Amino acid sequence: MARRKGRRSKAEVELNLAAMLDMAFQLLTFFILTFKPAPVEGQINVRLPPPVPVLQPGKQRDIGEMAPKEGEVPRGVNTLVITLNNNLQSKDPGRALSYTIGEYGEGTQVGTPEQLNNRLREIFANPINPFEQVIIQVPSRVRYAELMKVVEVFTRQKLPAGKKLSLSFVELPQEAAGGP
Amino acid sequence: MAELEQSEGKPNLTPILDMVFQLITFFMLVMNFKAGALDTSLRLPVVGSARAVDAQGQTSLLILNIDKQGNLNVYGQPRPVDSYIAGEAQAELLAARRQNPKLQFGDELPTTVVIRADRATEYHMVHRVIETCQKYGFRNFALKALNKEEGT
Repeated sequence: MARRKGRRSKAEVELNLAAMLDMAFQLLTFFILTFKPAPVEGQINVRLPPPVPVLQPGKQRDIGEMAPKEGEVPRGVNTLVITLNNNLQSKDPGRALSYTIGEYGEGTQVGTPEQLNNRLREIFANPINPFEQVIIQVPSRVRYAELMKVVEVFTRQKLPAGKKLSLSFVELPQEAAGGP
Repeated sequence: MAELEQSEGKPNLTPILDMVFQLITFFMLVMNFKAGALDTSLRLPVVGSARAVDAQGQTSLLILNIDKQGNLNVYGQPRPVDSYIAGEAQAELLAARRQNPKLQFGDELPTTVVIRADRATEYHMVHRVIETCQKYGFRNFALKALNKEEGT
């Protein structure tokens, strides 16, 4: 009887974990080596319909890329135009040196995004502001980061309840964007 | 003799295996398998008010990486802008037709285009991509940015 007990205990099933551990360590090494925590990215959600022909009140001039087709009546959308100004002769032609609010050459010019923010706040604080869309005109050589500064300023604005503004980006041919 | 055999130096591997599996589980959970679609070499613009991604209600996303030179990169490979977006628009249209069979080519698509452009990219390169997307019916865009400068 004693012999039987001894045999049983010797024949116990022993799982060899070494192979499994090897595999687990290989997997672990793979995950450690490929692990690269990505920086937390944010985003600005915008709805960008294609630019439509617009007519500034009292002016027979189209702003935007698409001129009205023959026989087509341009839509009279009151538009606020924000233009980024750069200088091709400067060391950094990709930088926006100033911002013009209104039509190019006729609007108010501000120097920094903060000033732009203050001006836009004044405009949008007025409950009878007539604007229905905003067009941001960007010279083709200006960097994307400069546009994003303006988009950020725009997203910070508080509009009167129920009011919605559409936003469009328009590329300004570089010759047309001289700037100061 | 029998005692010696029984006290052979066999380490108990079960706890270490448990720990390793826990580590593997951790790394698998924190790993973002979709990160392959994101070009991590891009330096995104810094915008303080950029909101964290809210994927609720999003049907599908089209991620477009635009590098400094204006190349459209998809999974690390440069792609021609027009033909790539046209192909994606076609695929999105077919998918969207399951919900709305009346949808025609050029109609507004429910997909959100995620623009991941390098901060130093000249605007005309980004504009070319946005314009092409608009041509094929994409209207909703998400402009990616960092909330703060990396390493600060």
